[in-house]
Amino acid sequence: MTSQPGRLGIAHQHHLQGSAIDRNRPLQFRLDGRIVSGFAGDTVLSAALASGIDAAGRRDGAALALSARHAPAITFAALAGDHQRALPMERTLATDGADYLTTAQKLGGNILARLLRRGGRSLDIDLDRPDALARPWLGMPAAPGPEADLVVIGGGVAGLSAALAGARRGLRVVLAEAAPLLGGKARLFGTQEGEETPDAAIARLVAAIAKSDAITVLTAAEAFALRPGAVRLHHVEMPGGTPTGRVIDIHAPHIVLATGALERLPLFPGNRLPGVIGALDAFELAQLYGLWPGWSALVATSSSPAYRLAMLVTDAGITVPRILDSRPHPQSRFIEFSKAYGITLAAGTIVASAAPAIRGNGIVAMPKLSMDGFSRAEPPLTVDRLVVCGGWQPDLTLWHMAGGESAWNAGGTRLEGRGGPAGTVLAGSAAGWVSRSACLASGSDAVDVLLGRQRRLVEDRLIDPIYETPDAPAWVGDEPDEASQPVFLDGGWRHIQRPRRVASRWPAWLPFAPRPPGWSLADTPQPLDIADIAAGVQLGAIPAASAGIVAQERVAMVAIESDQDDESRRLASPLPLPPSYLAARYAGAALWLVVPDDARMLDVGALIHANADTTDPLKAIGVVVRIVNGKAVALVAGSAGQTASVHEPGRAVGIRLVEPYRA
Amino acid sequence: MSETRVDFVIIGSTPLARLVAGLLASAHGKSVVFSGESQSGYRLPRAIDLSVAPITRPESWALLKAGLPEALKLLSRIGGRGAWSRVDPIFFSETPAGKEALAHIRHMALAFGHAAELVPASAIGPGRSGLLLRDAVLLHRPTLEAGLDRWLDLQGVRRCREDETLTVRSDGSAELASGEDRIEIGQAVLADDAAVIDHVPASLWPALLTRRVTSTIFTEPTRPIAASVMHRLDTGLTLVQQAGRGIAAIGPGAIDPFAAALGTLLGREREFRQAGQSSYEALATSDAAPAVGRLRGSGPDILAGLGPSGAFLAPAIARWLCGMADPAESAWLGARLVDRKAAASPVAEYGWAA
Repeated sequence: MTSQPGRLGIAHQHHLQGSAIDRNRPLQFRLDGRIVSGFAGDTVLSAALASGIDAAGRRDGAALALSARHAPAITFAALAGDHQRALPMERTLATDGADYLTTAQKLGGNILARLLRRGGRSLDIDLDRPDALARPWLGMPAAPGPEADLVVIGGGVAGLSAALAGARRGLRVVLAEAAPLLGGKARLFGTQEGEETPDAAIARLVAAIAKSDAITVLTAAEAFALRPGAVRLHHVEMPGGTPTGRVIDIHAPHIVLATGALERLPLFPGNRLPGVIGALDAFELAQLYGLWPGWSALVATSSSPAYRLAMLVTDAGITVPRILDSRPHPQSRFIEFSKAYGITLAAGTIVASAAPAIRGNGIVAMPKLSMDGFSRAEPPLTVDRLVVCGGWQPDLTLWHMAGGESAWNAGGTRLEGRGGPAGTVLAGSAAGWVSRSACLASGSDAVDVLLGRQRRLVEDRLIDPIYETPDAPAWVGDEPDEASQPVFLDGGWRHIQRPRRVASRWPAWLPFAPRPPGWSLADTPQPLDIADIAAGVQLGAIPAASAGIVAQERVAMVAIESDQDDESRRLASPLPLPPSYLAARYAGAALWLVVPDDARMLDVGALIHANADTTDPLKAIGVVVRIVNGKAVALVAGSAGQTASVHEPGRAVGIRLVEPYRA
Repeated sequence: MSETRVDFVIIGSTPLARLVAGLLASAHGKSVVFSGESQSGYRLPRAIDLSVAPITRPESWALLKAGLPEALKLLSRIGGRGAWSRVDPIFFSETPAGKEALAHIRHMALAFGHAAELVPASAIGPGRSGLLLRDAVLLHRPTLEAGLDRWLDLQGVRRCREDETLTVRSDGSAELASGEDRIEIGQAVLADDAAVIDHVPASLWPALLTRRVTSTIFTEPTRPIAASVMHRLDTGLTLVQQAGRGIAAIGPGAIDPFAAALGTLLGREREFRQAGQSSYEALATSDAAPAVGRLRGSGPDILAGLGPSGAFLAPAIARWLCGMADPAESAWLGARLVDRKAAASPVAEYGWAA
C-alpha cells in the first residue's frame, strides 16, 4: 500500500483496522494538485494523512503537524477563490475524482524551493499569517435550521443519551455532532467491570436514535456560536454525493452541551512537530480509519488511557519501546496489562523536549526523570511517532459563549463548569463526569434539569485511587530558548506560544541586567481556547482564581444577533442651543448674532475674548456656537454693538454683537 | 483578636486607584489599605488611560495641563519606559451635536497649547468629523500595573487578600476583617466603577450616576485604523489598535449589539473576528462630567466619571482627599461633587450622558 504509507496493515486481526472505511472501495482525489489515495469512508483529512501528508505548514520556520484541530479549509478547485463555499478537511468525506485546493496562503520562496517542497509531507501553508487556518464560514450569514425543542450538541454517549431522553419526554430533538459519525470518544477509555463495551453501548444508542422519529441527526455539523436559545452550526452535507457546506441557526428553548473533553497538550519544546500526536487523536484516526504512520511509537502520558492505546497499537504490529508516565507511582489496570505486553514503563519521566530526527521522518524525544524534586536527563529516544497525553479538559467553549461560568479546580487542574444561563446545561465529560456510566446518566439528567423534572442520581463509578492513579497535570518540559523548538499551549489553530527565554550577556543578579518581559495574554490578538487558558494557569500567566472569567472573556465568539444600538435616536435628536457643556460657562452670557469685521465665516467652537490682546482661555467671554442660515450665533456676555475678538488658529478676528439671537 | 486603625482604604483596580493609594501613603504620610485586583495582564481592558480627553471646560484643560508633568514623572519612576507611550489619538463624531462639540474642543486644545488638527473624512469615513490631538500620553496598563503593585508594597500600602472581608459603611468608614483580626479604616475611597457598584447600596445611590451596560470586544488583527487610539464622542466608543493590529473596542451596549455597531463603524474593509469580549456595568453621570467626593457629604468618597484622564489627576485627587489641594484643584473638584444636581449643570461636558 505504497500510496497510503500511513495505513495500518490488515494481515492479522487487530482492533485498529478502520471501522469507518471500506478497504474494498479505494478512491483518489487531488489536493493542491497532488494525488491523494484513500478509501470510501475516509475524510479528506484522514486520506491526506494516510497518503503521508502530516504537516500543515511552517510557523517561525518550524513545521507544525496536520491534525483535526489544525487543518486548513479546502474548496473545490473549480470554485477557487470562493471561500464562502469552503469546507473543513476533517468533516468532509473524501470523494473519488474530486479536485480540492486548500484556501490558506502558501509558503513563498523561489521556484527551486517550491519544487523541492512539492509532493512532500507538508501542505506548505504559511502559518505565520494570523488568519492562516481561519474558518471562512464563521462570518457567513445563517439560514434557518430545523425546528426543535431541544438541541443536543455532541454525539458521544452523553449526547446520545440526552437526545433519547428528550425524545422520550415528547420533545423535537436536533442532535448535532461535529464528526462524520456518532459515538464520540468513549472507545479509548475501555470498559469497567460489569459494563457493556463502548462499541456495544454506542451501537445500542445509535440504533435507538435511528428508530426515533423525534430526533433529527446532523453529523459533520460543528456548532461554533451559541447564545441562550440559539445555536449556529456549520454543516457539511452530501447532496448528490458532493460535499456542500452551509451555516444554519437552530432556535430552541432547551440546549444540552455534551461537547466532551479536549486532550491537553503537554508543554515541551517541539510539542507540535509532525509526528507528535495526542493519544485521543491517534486512537480515533487508528480506530476509525486504520491510520498509524511509522513502525515505532513512544507513548508519554500523565493519564492511564494512553496505556490502552499502547497495547492496541502493539497488537497492530507497532513497536512501543517505552511508555513514559509523568506520575511518580502510577497504578492502573492498563499498566498491569501493558507490563504483560512486555512494554517498558518509566514512571516519573517526562518528555522534556522533542526535535525532528536528522534522517527520515522520525522524532527524537529527550526524556527526563522528574520525580520528588529530582531531575535527570535520560538518553534520547528516536521513534517514528511520539504519542502524548496531558490529561483532559472539559470542552466549555460553547458554554462560555452562552454566558456560562467556570472555575479552576486545582485538584483536577482543569476548568469546570459552574452556573450557566437558563435553558442551557452541560452533560457528560463536558460537565466533568469521568466514567461512561456517569456520562450516560448525565445525558438523561440534563434533560430533566431543563424540563424542571425530578433529577436522577448521577454518580461517577471511579476505581479506588490505590488501583487507578488519577491523572496528573499536563507536564511542563524544558523552557524554550531562542534555539529550541516552540512550545505551544494547545494543539488548535491559535498558535499561542510559551515565551522563549532570551539569553542576556549580563548575569541576572546585576541590577541593570535586562528583566524578562512580562507575559501579557491580554495583548494576544487571538481568542484563547480553553486549553490555552488551562496551560496559562499552569505556567503562571493567569491566576487560577481568574481562569474562569478569562476563559469566558477570551472565547472565540461570533455575533449571531445584529440588533443595532440606539444610535439612530441620537442621530435624530434635536440640537440644543446653547449646548449643555456651555451651561454657566460665561457669566451673564446670552445668545447673540455676531458678525465679523471681515467678510468671512467664523469657526464654530472658537473662543471669544474681550479684545485681541487677551488669549487666556480661562478669561474668554464667549464662544461661537453655531452658524444658522449663514450667520454666526455666539454665546457671549455683552450688549448690542459691542465689539470683541474671536480667536482662530493663527489669527484674531474682530466681531460685533448685532442682536440677540432668537430661534 | 487584634484591632488596628488606618486612615484610608482605596478600592479599585485602575491605575487611578493605585496611584491615589500610593500617593496618600508616600506623599501624605497616610496609612492606607488597597483593595483591587491585578488583572491587566490577562483580562480585557474596560477603559484606557489617556492624557487628553474630549473635554470642553477650560478649567479641566487647565488642571490636566498643570498636572501632566507631575503625573508623568511619577509614572515614569514607577513603571519605567514601557509604562506609557506617546500617541496621536483621533476624536470623531457623526452627529451635528458631536461635531459642534468637537469644533469647540479643537479650539480649547489649541488655546491651551495642544497641537490639534482636523482629520480629513478620507481617513475616518464620510459624514464624520475628526480631531487629532498630537503627543498624548497613553498608559500601558499591563506593564504599569506590575510597577504600581511593587510601588504600593514599597510605600507600605497594605494589600487586601482574597480571604479577607472588606465592609464599607454608609458613614464612609470601613472595616477589614482578616480571620480574628480587625482593621478599622477611617475613610473609604471607591475609586472605580466596579467599586462604586459593589459598595454603594441602592438606598444611597446618587441620582447623578447611572449604571450602563458596556462591552469590550478585542478583535483579531485587522487593517490599520486611522490612529492607534480613536474615540467616538457620540457614543463613548473607544478603539485602541495594539501593536499586533488587534483592536480593543470599548463602548456601550451588550456584546452582540456592540459587535454589530463596531462592524458598522469599522466597515467592510476591516471585517473582524472577535478575539475576546466581555460585558459589564460601567457608570455614567447625567451631565457627562466627573463625580467626586463624599456620598451625601459624609459617606465613602466616590471617584467616577473621570474619563480616560483620571490617572493623570491622581496627584491632585490625593492632595484633595488630604485637604492639601491648591485653590484651582479644590475649586475644580469641589464643583464636581457627586451630590450635585445634574439639571443645568455648571460643569456639564459633551458625551453620551445617562
